[in-house]
Amino acid sequence: MSHEKFLTTEIRRRTLLASMAAVGASATFGTGKAFAQEPEKPAEIIVRAWGGSWVDSLKAGVSDSFTKATGIAVRHDLTEDNEIQPKVWAAVAQNRVPPIHINWDTTTNATKSALRGVTEDLSDLPNLKNTTELAKPVGLDGYPIVNTYGYVYVLAYRPSAFPNGAPKSWKDLLDPKLKGRIALYNDGIGFHFPAQVAGGGKLEDIPGNMQPAWDFIRQIKAQEPLLGEDPDFTTWFQKGEIDAACTISTNAREARKNGIELAWVVPEEGAKFDTDGLWIPKGLPENELYWAKQYINHALTKEAQQVWLDGLGLPGVVPGLTPPADLVGDPSYPTTEEDFKHLIRISSKTQVENESQWFGKFKEIMQG
Amino acid sequence: MRKSRVAYPLTWRVMDGLEGLAARLWPARFEKGLPYLMLAPAVLLVGILVLGLVQIGDSSLRVLDTSTFLMSEDLTLANYHRALTESFFATVAGRSLLGSVIVTIVTLIFAFPYAYLMVRTPSSALRKLLLVALFLPFFIGQVVRAYGWLIILGNQGMVNEALGLVGVAPMRLLYNYPAVLFGLVQYMLPFAVLMLAPALTAIPAELESAASSLGANWLRTFRHVVLPLARPGLVGAGLVVVTLSLTDFAIPAILGGGTQDFIANAIYDQFFRTSDQGMGATLSLMLVAVGSLLVGLVFMLFGAGTLAMTGERK
Amino acid sequence: MTGSRSKSAVIWAFVATALVMLSAPTIVVLGASFTAGNIITFPPEGLSLKWYGAILQASDLRQAFVRSLIVATICTLVSIPVGTLAGIALAKYRVRFARSIQIYLLLPFTIPLIGSGIGMMLVFGNMGVLGKLWPVGIACCVINLPFMIWAVTASASNLSPDLELAAANCGAPPLQRFLYITLPAVLPGVITGSLLMFILALNEFLVSLLLVDARSVTLPVQIYNSIRSIITPDLAAISVVFIASAAIAIAVLDRLVGLDIFLKSK
Repeated sequence: MSHEKFLTTEIRRRTLLASMAAVGASATFGTGKAFAQEPEKPAEIIVRAWGGSWVDSLKAGVSDSFTKATGIAVRHDLTEDNEIQPKVWAAVAQNRVPPIHINWDTTTNATKSALRGVTEDLSDLPNLKNTTELAKPVGLDGYPIVNTYGYVYVLAYRPSAFPNGAPKSWKDLLDPKLKGRIALYNDGIGFHFPAQVAGGGKLEDIPGNMQPAWDFIRQIKAQEPLLGEDPDFTTWFQKGEIDAACTISTNAREARKNGIELAWVVPEEGAKFDTDGLWIPKGLPENELYWAKQYINHALTKEAQQVWLDGLGLPGVVPGLTPPADLVGDPSYPTTEEDFKHLIRISSKTQVENESQWFGKFKEIMQG
Repeated sequence: MRKSRVAYPLTWRVMDGLEGLAARLWPARFEKGLPYLMLAPAVLLVGILVLGLVQIGDSSLRVLDTSTFLMSEDLTLANYHRALTESFFATVAGRSLLGSVIVTIVTLIFAFPYAYLMVRTPSSALRKLLLVALFLPFFIGQVVRAYGWLIILGNQGMVNEALGLVGVAPMRLLYNYPAVLFGLVQYMLPFAVLMLAPALTAIPAELESAASSLGANWLRTFRHVVLPLARPGLVGAGLVVVTLSLTDFAIPAILGGGTQDFIANAIYDQFFRTSDQGMGATLSLMLVAVGSLLVGLVFMLFGAGTLAMTGERK
Repeated sequence: MTGSRSKSAVIWAFVATALVMLSAPTIVVLGASFTAGNIITFPPEGLSLKWYGAILQASDLRQAFVRSLIVATICTLVSIPVGTLAGIALAKYRVRFARSIQIYLLLPFTIPLIGSGIGMMLVFGNMGVLGKLWPVGIACCVINLPFMIWAVTASASNLSPDLELAAANCGAPPLQRFLYITLPAVLPGVITGSLLMFILALNEFLVSLLLVDARSVTLPVQIYNSIRSIITPDLAAISVVFIASAAIAIAVLDRLVGLDIFLKSK
């Protein structure tokens, strides 16, 4: 694949340029704050975040303490991650200043932006040296993105609908009793990989042969699932429309906090594990870029991670964090190697290169 | 001299000045060009959209390279080929087309009596109530609207509870094709009524009384007097509803349960989920073509509404 | 007499169904906004104004609301002259290529909103004006312009060429004929059209989403974006405040110009 080769050289060239720029900037980062000539502070920086409890956690853990330390106000832009993407891409393509300073993004989406070359390199952040390997994006050179925590697409269920105990397998969703009572994300995200296992296939065959996944998804289609987004799932659980869903544990936990009867498991086939991260779009003025980097650097401190991720109920990327009391030993909060054995992690690169196909296939089955 | 100026009302002088200005800017011999001048601002404004279409039209000829997430340098028709051959797009397109036609017919059936009562009722209070009721649905955003429908039509919703009282088991009323069509009718109804109402105000009530005094019953009066005279309004309302429901995104998204996508949902997915601007642009352009053809077809079948009257007029 | 009774029975049957269809979700949401509980339910669990208190404190919502008002005003102010002139031109004159022009002027409806949004984002981005409010107003005007044009043309059957000829015979110059005869005739259409333009711009979401940034975000975009995991009754309360302010606006308009006259058949 000459194509792939071309890609890597292209990325290498980009990283080289970026690291040369970093050498130039090292004076600012290397010599400690007392002597550093800090660039002019902007009045505020804009961080894209998800709404609801997501932004509340970020504000409590990272933004507020950043403002306290630097005096720079933080404004949160709550545009959805996939909806900000074309806006940022267009801004970079048109040589405009991008609408945000920092994007809090899924690693998959961020990887697309990194491949497209619209991300600033972050490898010179001092706090990176304290992070676990989870912080490093897989399959990309350097740090166009910094992963800040991991999360699991669990099988969330209503305990009263499972009188014989928690579901053990994704195949339990095929129970005729659950016809019309299950929900998945409308692009099938989080479900493709466990479906591959549940359909009798191997994870190593991804992306080459995913027929087992499609077969299983066809079986699920016969169960007439509802397809939606995070708020839909909560609403549907709340209003008794569904009894089980494949969703991110944070949303299930938030729903439970709000009094909705809900529990979750990682079924025997495993569950998809993925990461979210922070990145900076190209095209910012030099001083704003500097402070945006400081923000991400601050998000990697243990103090910031502890508060932020307590809110989200997710495992972070610095060692020594204490899990929230309700999640000790929970499969959606993996900490040990044993925990990770039950989780499915596929490289972002494989995901972004094939995602549109998987997505198209899933849609084709579900819309048929 | 001075005195006469004061005697001459200010408004007249202003009017005269404006008339003079208008005459100088646009002398009478340009009379033929006048309608084009009047159309120019609208044409220019819509021109912004056309500029946008040109921009995205360019990307429709490029394919996404998923190793760089850039559009290809060279031009190709591959996206169009995909759109025409993949069965998924045909399913979605068929669903939207059929849906928009059904929605248009049902909406007009409900909008006509509504608009008729609104303009004909002698009670000013009722007229205002009917008018305000039209605007109410706009103010609850799509997410809250979906929630409202769930409370009413959900499995544990009010309708199912009422049915339960008479011994009917709860049934799924939402998240299927009929639910989407129902939602679209509800969404389109205000537009249709507001398009119809001005046309109906123009039909003299005396005409109807005349018809009935000549022995026509009200149904016949309706069919032979009111409906034909209301045709411009009906065509206008029909066009608005058919094009808007064909290109709608929100209702299939909130009431379709994710499995009843219309074309606009497929376009959203391409632009926002798979980051494939080329495919999104291709589907958009094809939808514009289909929509415009549909409009042309309506003109051919039912006349151009108000335009047909122009012909008789001048 | 039985004929007219059956007529009103049939009409009322349709109107009643339509009324239920139109207002049911709104009434549910209205009621739910007064709940004392934490979720949107109907009937509400206990009565309280706590969700109104919650939105009162959110200054970002207030700012977003003001921005929405500005956007809607710009949209309406632009659309009235543009749409009225175009509507009259199409209704009153024989225009060459009229059908093509009509199809062209319906582009805002035949282009899916996402396409329009992306296109205008690129166009306004090229012009370097993104982040300001007026492009959002213009965009709302463009995507809804057919409403204005069609509302005007639909009322154009009120136009009476004879009356204009008579005025011309009496020596009225063209501008006066336009202002005193043509314009009043289409006024019902202009009023309904501009009401619709204003309300639609006030609530526009999908296109605005692509044209605003965090500093210029409008209310519908702000609301949509704030929802992530749980839908709380403050959203219902916002809708109610929104409806109330619109009702006041309509009432004022009614006082000033008397909506009734324009909608009543003569």
